Amino acid sequence: MIALTVALPLLAAFLLPLLPALARQFLGPLVLLAVAAFGLCLAGNALDAPSVVAIGDFRPPLGIVFYADGVAGLFVFAIAVVTLLLWPCATPNGQPDPQITRKHSLTLLMAAASCALALSGDLFNIYVFYELAAVAGYGLAAGSRTPAAQVATFRFTLLGSLGSLLALIGITLIYFRAGSLNLAHLAELAPSTLHDPLGLAGFLLILLGFGVKSELFLVNSWAPEVYATAESRVSALLAGLISKLALLAVVRLLVLVFPVPEASQLLLVLGMLGILTGELAAYRARDFRRLLAWSSIGQLGAAFVAFAIPGPAGLMAGIAVALHHLMVKPALFLLAERWGGNLAQLAGAARNSPIAAALFVLFALSLIGVPPLPGFWAKYLLLSGLAGEPAGLWWLAGLVVLTTTVVEAVYLFRIIGTLYGHQQGSVMQSRTATTGSGIFALLLVGTALSAPLLAAPLQKMATQLADTDGYVAQVISATITAPQRSGTAP
Amino acid sequence: MLTRYGSLLFATGFAFLLFSLFIALPMGEPPTLAGQAILNEAANSVGAANIVTSVVLAYRGIDTLGELSILFAAATAVGLVLGGQARAPRPSKEDGAGGFILQTGVDLLFPLLLVVGFYIILHGHLTPGGGFQGGVVLAAALVLPVLARPEESPSPAALAWVEGLAGAAFIATGLAALAYDHAFLTPLLGAGQLGDLFSAGTLPLLYLAVGLKVGAELAKLLLRLAEEGPAA
Repeated sequence: MIALTVALPLLAAFLLPLLPALARQFLGPLVLLAVAAFGLCLAGNALDAPSVVAIGDFRPPLGIVFYADGVAGLFVFAIAVVTLLLWPCATPNGQPDPQITRKHSLTLLMAAASCALALSGDLFNIYVFYELAAVAGYGLAAGSRTPAAQVATFRFTLLGSLGSLLALIGITLIYFRAGSLNLAHLAELAPSTLHDPLGLAGFLLILLGFGVKSELFLVNSWAPEVYATAESRVSALLAGLISKLALLAVVRLLVLVFPVPEASQLLLVLGMLGILTGELAAYRARDFRRLLAWSSIGQLGAAFVAFAIPGPAGLMAGIAVALHHLMVKPALFLLAERWGGNLAQLAGAARNSPIAAALFVLFALSLIGVPPLPGFWAKYLLLSGLAGEPAGLWWLAGLVVLTTTVVEAVYLFRIIGTLYGHQQGSVMQSRTATTGSGIFALLLVGTALSAPLLAAPLQKMATQLADTDGYVAQVISATITAPQRSGTAP
Repeated sequence: MLTRYGSLLFATGFAFLLFSLFIALPMGEPPTLAGQAILNEAANSVGAANIVTSVVLAYRGIDTLGELSILFAAATAVGLVLGGQARAPRPSKEDGAGGFILQTGVDLLFPLLLVVGFYIILHGHLTPGGGFQGGVVLAAALVLPVLARPEESPSPAALAWVEGLAGAAFIATGLAALAYDHAFLTPLLGAGQLGDLFSAGTLPLLYLAVGLKVGAELAKLLLRLAEEGPAA
């Protein structure tokens, strides 16, 4: 079942161009629904004990393992649901899109790669599927076919390739030092072989490489340009989903192989710089989608800061920040699909589309962190985690988070003011329905209402994610279903 | 001007970083724990005389599936970016055709290339080579006749069918293992006699799927680029 979450979307993506038109429409969503069900099952099972599958029945340090703990199951579920909500629209602007099958194929490939990133327990396998998500992302980002989008995608491709190269050098360095690629095996080998400047250089290279997709400070310059020019749904997928999966891969490496203060501090400092640059640039932005992109960089920075906090508390805060961003940012990009880019044109839009404006207010309040909404709990966990650490950089990070919240509030309320202002802007009549963002809003409110119930499973997932010994024991003792094959004829 | 110096500075710094990492690496034998263990047991447990193949298709089969998907994603993305632009009219017999030497050469080479391509694919588990390498030779075999007789290019629809079905066959072979209570992508059919053509279980089938997919995909990609050429 674990491998099916990757195999089924890939199979569907390969077969999609061959099918008759009617089947094309339904195959993708059906497969995604199945993956969502698998994800729920995996997350449910993992609350008892995480499950491991050795792909190809080879015993773990040699073959590749998929490891499904609670976080992985939850992310598989989230991948399927978010991809389904952001499924490329077959008739944008009322006309059928001749390229829609290719877009659907790429979206399915992206979903499969994301699932594999969440599940994989092998460093090189993570790299392969990161690369698959990246290539599918380049294709989709260029898919709006405007010259601006193609220029932005070209820069994105260059930066992404540089990132992949860095990650590959990092992985090579780690394999050269430790002699294995399996994360559990590396976790055992790390204290004697990898906790030195060379090993940490490997981690830094991988961090910068995967950081391209998770909008890490220094390598995120592609984000505003691409998000402003690509189709909004693609921006939503990249900002909401792919960034989190790249982040999850880095976090697994951090927790299992590099649980050393130097590595955490690296994440902390880069995350802090990400928050500062992201939120300040968002304050200056004059384009709705660019603003969302910069604010996304800030949010991802907050997630990096949260994951830098050692122990389950930090992981729980990180998961909360990431999941909250996963619900809010795609919804906001869907609103941008409706409203277009220019902020000045939004004046008085609340009169034309009251529901969309109300939804925007809801998401904005959650982003800022107003109490009953999930954004508040995410920030609360983050701040209490930071406050629990010794003074110094950690408290500085807390201060940065608090200060930038004010900046966030200013620019978001400025938009709300424009939306409900008296001036009449030239915003065009709504182009698409608010169904997508409405569903995200329902999810958000649902999470807010069930926050007390969600705390316990979330705590459990964070503990599982932090449990290195448990991970190693589970993977090394993974059951091989086949008896060791011998050299005799069948 | 400033950006140029910036790029130069970046490149120098990057080179210096790689150089200092290289200098810091300890000399001597690196500990290839996983690699050595695979070398010791692969011949017996997988049955492929070419150890590289047992790593590519058995131990790390899902990586290969990922690589195939990356190629597919790249080809699809190229189609997405280029497709739908004003196509150059299909070249007529007079203006596109190659000369006598090219046409005769292609006629001679075409069957040879096909044989070499399939040979490399089908012997991937015995000798160096395999699906990726053989697939590229197949793609060359398909594209070469187009140079000589542009009007007789293979139909993209047929290539798409080969590509899609070959990819599906790879995954289906992997899924078949689930029916026998094994994990995804477990090699079936037993290891056989080391060095025989019919050995290493399902690995040759997987390589055949890889070869056909790579060949069809590259041919489709090259034909599409050739089609776009005159229009640009």
